[in-house]
Amino acid sequence: MGLFGLFQSEEDKRAEEIRKGTVAPTRAERQKCWASRDLFYACLDKHNIIDPIKDEKAATKKCSSENAAFERDCAAQWVTYFKKWRVQDIQKKARLKELEAQGAYKMDVQTEFAPKKD
Amino acid sequence: MPQPAAAVRAALNALPRATPRQLVRTISTARAAPAKRPIAPSATRPLSQTHQSLVQRRFYKTVEEAKSRYRSGPFSWKAGLLFVLTGIGLVWYFESEKERMKRKRIAEATKGVGKPKVGGPFSLIDQNGNTVTHEDLKGRYALVYFGFTHCPDICPDELDKMARMFDLVEEQRPNSLTPVFVTCDPARDGPKELKEYLVEFHPKFLGLTGTYEQIKAMCKAYRVYFSTPSNVKPGQDYLVDHSIYFYLMDPDGDFVEALGRQHSPEQGAKIILDHMKDWRGQWRKD
Repeated sequence: MGLFGLFQSEEDKRAEEIRKGTVAPTRAERQKCWASRDLFYACLDKHNIIDPIKDEKAATKKCSSENAAFERDCAAQWVTYFKKWRVQDIQKKARLKELEAQGAYKMDVQTEFAPKKD
Repeated sequence: MPQPAAAVRAALNALPRATPRQLVRTISTARAAPAKRPIAPSATRPLSQTHQSLVQRRFYKTVEEAKSRYRSGPFSWKAGLLFVLTGIGLVWYFESEKERMKRKRIAEATKGVGKPKVGGPFSLIDQNGNTVTHEDLKGRYALVYFGFTHCPDICPDELDKMARMFDLVEEQRPNSLTPVFVTCDPARDGPKELKEYLVEFHPKFLGLTGTYEQIKAMCKAYRVYFSTPSNVKPGQDYLVDHSIYFYLMDPDGDFVEALGRQHSPEQGAKIILDHMKDWRGQWRKD
């Protein structure tokens, strides 16, 4: 930050703290982060990129603005976590599809929070 | 145990002594009846008569005695007394045996056979800086969840779910459930951080934190796996890996059931309410 730190507004300071993980995000900040993440995911889907860490070059080239927004709105740790999570989630879904094709019985297990309160 | 067993044995010993006479008497009356009737063929008459006289000779000295015996039938005061005594003995035996089994069950339950030993005593600090111990949770059910405020996706989801479950339970049985959030990241989650974080989920959530050692002991007691990455420098960001179950504890502080991600808030609330219906112990009034 150096000199620029002096001219930072309250809002920028807060965003910076979230990125560095010094403070935990509030509900609104979490939702902002998740929204940016979903936009980034959508862009990767569009360009058939599964792993944004392995295919970093392609990801930053094709989805540079989405990536920048994602990194701006989320903590650095969360960015890495969500990038890894995407790969796992895609693999999980593919595996489930494979099992379903083989005629596996799907158990009724809910992993999503059903009715959103807000 | 010796007393009821001895009573039964005494009753059983008395039985064979009494039975032969009674048996013979029944036979004798049955055989004597057709003999009185004129319809019976003449060939059988002398036979039954000799039989009757044989029996009479063995037991009765006079005809009057035999007649009085015949009138009273197989029932006598001795048989009645034996019946009553055996009855009392058996009731006594089964009652004492039932009591014993009950005590055995209780003893085994506290020994932890077939029942996971989850939970236990603790002393932590809540989001307002007050000390909270296991004693403060007694008298109500408690729903305990472990997490951390920097959690990216699962904990916020689960805490929303917990808030919904709590509201559903509260509608049916107000003031009988304490929702508890225990941090697995005591280095960053102090009372102030917990307060800011939890108020966004539910104002009634009880947030608990403490020293690293206290939290480690708490997690161990609840069989919660958690791992903070090693070699974290001050101010450096990190994520904590941890188990994601809700632990339902009864008003005595004993573990009841674990609720997982597969349960919807409605399902979870129903499970909790069903357990509350079963509870026969004390409830806290305040």
